[in-house]
Amino acid sequence: MKKKFLVLLVATLLISVLSACGSSSSSSSNSNEGTDEQQKVEKVVFSMVSFNRIPDDYSAVTKAINDITIPKIGVEIDLQIFSPADYSQKVNLALQSGEKLDIFTTLGQFANYASKNQLLALEDLLDKHGKDLIAKLEEDFGPGLLDSTTINGHIYGIPVNKGMSLPTNFVYSEVLLNSLGYKKEDITSINDLTPIFADVKERYPDITPFGPINVNPSDTNLLHYLKGQYQIDFLTDTNGIGVVVGDSGKVVNLYETDEFKEAAGVIREWFTAGYLQKDAATTAVPFSEMIGSGRGFSMLGGYSGKEAAKALSAQVGTPMEMQRIAPYYFDTNAVNLVSWLVNSTTDVPEGAVKFLNLLYTDEQVINTILYGIEDVDYVRVGERHIKFPEGKDANTVSYTAMLSTGMVGSESLQYQLEGVDLADLQLKLDENKTTPRSPYLGFVFDQSDVKVQVSSVTNVVNQYLPGFMTGSLDLETALPAFIKALNEAGAEKIIESKQEQLDKWISEQKK
Amino acid sequence: MKTLRRGTFSKNLPLFLLAIPGLLYFVVNSYIPMIGIFIAFKDINFAKGIFASDWIGLDNFSFLFQTKDAWIMTRNTILYNVAFIVLGTICSIFIAIFMYELVKKIYSKFLMTGLILPNLISMVVLSLLVFAFLNAENGFINNSLLAPLGIEGINWYAEPKYWPFILVFIHLWKTAGYGSIIYFAAIAGIDKSIYEAAKIDGASKIKQISMITIPLLKPTIIILVLLSVGRIFNSDFGLFYQVPLNAGALYSTTQTIDTYVYRALMQLNDVGMSAAAGLYQSVVGFVLVVTVNAIVRKINADNALF
Repeated sequence: MKKKFLVLLVATLLISVLSACGSSSSSSSNSNEGTDEQQKVEKVVFSMVSFNRIPDDYSAVTKAINDITIPKIGVEIDLQIFSPADYSQKVNLALQSGEKLDIFTTLGQFANYASKNQLLALEDLLDKHGKDLIAKLEEDFGPGLLDSTTINGHIYGIPVNKGMSLPTNFVYSEVLLNSLGYKKEDITSINDLTPIFADVKERYPDITPFGPINVNPSDTNLLHYLKGQYQIDFLTDTNGIGVVVGDSGKVVNLYETDEFKEAAGVIREWFTAGYLQKDAATTAVPFSEMIGSGRGFSMLGGYSGKEAAKALSAQVGTPMEMQRIAPYYFDTNAVNLVSWLVNSTTDVPEGAVKFLNLLYTDEQVINTILYGIEDVDYVRVGERHIKFPEGKDANTVSYTAMLSTGMVGSESLQYQLEGVDLADLQLKLDENKTTPRSPYLGFVFDQSDVKVQVSSVTNVVNQYLPGFMTGSLDLETALPAFIKALNEAGAEKIIESKQEQLDKWISEQKK
Repeated sequence: MKTLRRGTFSKNLPLFLLAIPGLLYFVVNSYIPMIGIFIAFKDINFAKGIFASDWIGLDNFSFLFQTKDAWIMTRNTILYNVAFIVLGTICSIFIAIFMYELVKKIYSKFLMTGLILPNLISMVVLSLLVFAFLNAENGFINNSLLAPLGIEGINWYAEPKYWPFILVFIHLWKTAGYGSIIYFAAIAGIDKSIYEAAKIDGASKIKQISMITIPLLKPTIIILVLLSVGRIFNSDFGLFYQVPLNAGALYSTTQTIDTYVYRALMQLNDVGMSAAAGLYQSVVGFVLVVTVNAIVRKINADNALF
C-alpha cells in the first residue's frame, strides 16, 4: 500500500514536471517551424529602450521594419520595447532564464556583461556582414570607437554612433540671469558661478541658486565636471575608485586627489553659504522641478551640441539656457556607455550582425524604429526633418520613440524634429573628433577578481558621495573618514588590480 | 510492525489525500527550487551554463563579511527585529485586550478595520507620507511643530541617530493593528465561565487580565514569537529601503542585510552572491528557530512548536 502510494506520488510529480517541460518544448518547436516555412529567414529578437510612452500594440512598426529587413538581409525582427525602468531587469531575466534574446543594449554595464561571458565576440562576423557599419563609424567618430568594446582582441559590442562629447554645461533659468544683469558670456568656469549665486541669494531670498540635477542618489555632476576639466580617466566604472589623471599612467583613488578636494571645496563653499537646499543630499525632488516652479535657478549637466537647452526648456516648463564651463574627455566608459550587444547564446549570430549593420547604416530602419510609420506616426518636412501629423503630438501619436535618439544607430542618419538646426548635428560630429581622448581609451577593466571589493566599495560610495556632491559633508572631517572606509572596503585592492591590468594593456598596445 | 504500519496508513488514507494539494504546493514551490542552493557555491558563467560553472566553495559568502559593514548590518537587522518582536507583541496584545474589554462590540468592529488599514498601505506610499512629515524644507514636523516652539528644524534625512525610533514607530503603526487580530481571536476563544468565576470571587478587571487573559494567551504568543524569530535575519525591505529614501547618510542605522545585498548586487548583477546571501539568512533563521524551540520545550514541553 505504501509502495503504491509512493508510486502514485512520484507519478503525479513526474506528470506535473513533464507537462511543464512539454509546454515549453512545444512552443520552441513551433517557432522553428515558422522559420523553416519562410525559407532561411532568421528570427532575431531585438530589445530596445523607449523613453516615450510605449504603445500596447506596435506590431505595425515591427511589420514595417520586417518589410525592409526580410527582402534585404533575410532577417525577421521581433521588436521588444521596454521602459528604462524595466529594461535592465527584463534583459537580465531573459539572459538568466535562457529566453530568446539576441540583441540588447546596456547603460554602462558593458564590462559586467563581458566578464560573465554573456556577450558574443563579433569581429569575424563584422568582417563578413558589417563592413558598412564599420565605415560609418569611421566617418562619424573617427578610428578607435570599437576599441572601447574590445577585450583581448575580441569585439563584444558596438557603441551607439552619436554625438558622444558631453561637455559640462551650466544650465540656468534665462529670465533670472538676465534680471541680474549678467550675460551668458560672463560665465567661463566654475569659479564664475559663486558671485552669481551670491546675487541670486541676495535679490531673491526665496530662490535656491543651485541644486542636484539627479536625485536618489543626489548627483550634481561634480564627477562629470572633474572628468572633463582635469582629463580624468575613470577606467571603466563610475565610482571613482581607481582613476588616472591625465596621461600619468598611475592609478589613484579619485577622492584622494587634489582635484577632487578643490572641486568639492567649491561646492562645500556654496552649501555653507546657503546656495543649496539643506537637504540637497537626500531630497527626493529633482531640482528641475524646483526651477520649473520658479524656486530654483541652476544646475550642472552634460549635454552634447549647443541646442539641448531648447528641449530642456520644454521639459522644465520655463525658458532655460546653457553655457559650457568645462570640456569633455573620452575614456572607455564615455564611449561605450550605450552599446549594442549580441547574446553569447544566440542561435542566429549571422542574422543578428546583419541587422546591426542595418541599424547603423539604413536610414529607413533607423527612422522607422524612432518615429514609426511615415504619414501615420510622422510627416516628413523637407529632406531631413519631420513633424507630427496634424493635431497630434508625441503623447497622442500611435507610435514614437523619439526620445531614444541616443540609443538607436547613427545619429547622423536620423531625421530631426522640425526646427532643429542641422548645424548642431554637424557640430556634434565634429566634436567627436576634436574632444581629447584618454591614452587609455580602449582599456576595459575586468573586475571579476575583485568583485567582492567592488560591491563593498560601491556601498561606501553610495553612502558618502551624495554628501560631497552637494557639499553637505564637511571636507575636513568627512573626507578622511570616507577614504578610510573605502580602504577598509578594499579600495586599495581594486586600485592595485586596475594598475596591474592597465600596465599589461599598455605594454600590449606598444607591440 | 509492518501490518501495524499498513493499518495506520490505510486508516489515514483520506487524510493523506486531503494533504496532497498542499504537499504538491510545497514540493513545487519550496522543495524543487531548493535545489538551486548549489548556485551559492558556484561562479556563474553564462557561456558554460549554470550546471557547468566552476565550483568556488565559500567565496560567494565572503562579500557579506568583507567590511565593517558586516557588523553594522547584522547588528541593525537583529536589534530592529528584536525591538519589532518585543514591542510589536506588547502593542498587539494591548490593542487586542483593549478592544475586547473596553469597547462595545459595534465600535470594536469599526476600530478594528481602522487599525488594519495602515497594513494595507504600500511602503512606497508610506515613504512619501513620512517624507511629507520629515522633509527638511517644508515638512510638517519642522514647519508646523518645531518652528512654532522656536526649535530649529532638523534635517531628518541626514541624522542617523533619530532613525531607530522613527523606523520602530512606523513599523508599529503599520503592523500592530493587524497583529492584534490573532490575539483578539484567541481572547474571544477563552471560556467565559472562567471570568464569571473570577468576578464572583471579586477579582478586578486588571486582576482578570493579568491572571486569566495573559496566561491563557501564552501558547499563542509563543507560536507567533517563534515564527518571527525564524525571520530575525530578514528585514522588511520596503521599510528599510523606501522609507529612508535610500539616503546614504543614514546607512549607519538603516542598513540591514537585505538592503546591503540589494545595493551591492544591483551593481554587480551576480546570481551566485545573491544566492549565498539568501542561503546565509535562511540557515541562521533555521538554527535560531530550532534553538528557541528547544529552549521552550525545556521549560514547558506543551508550548513548544515541534
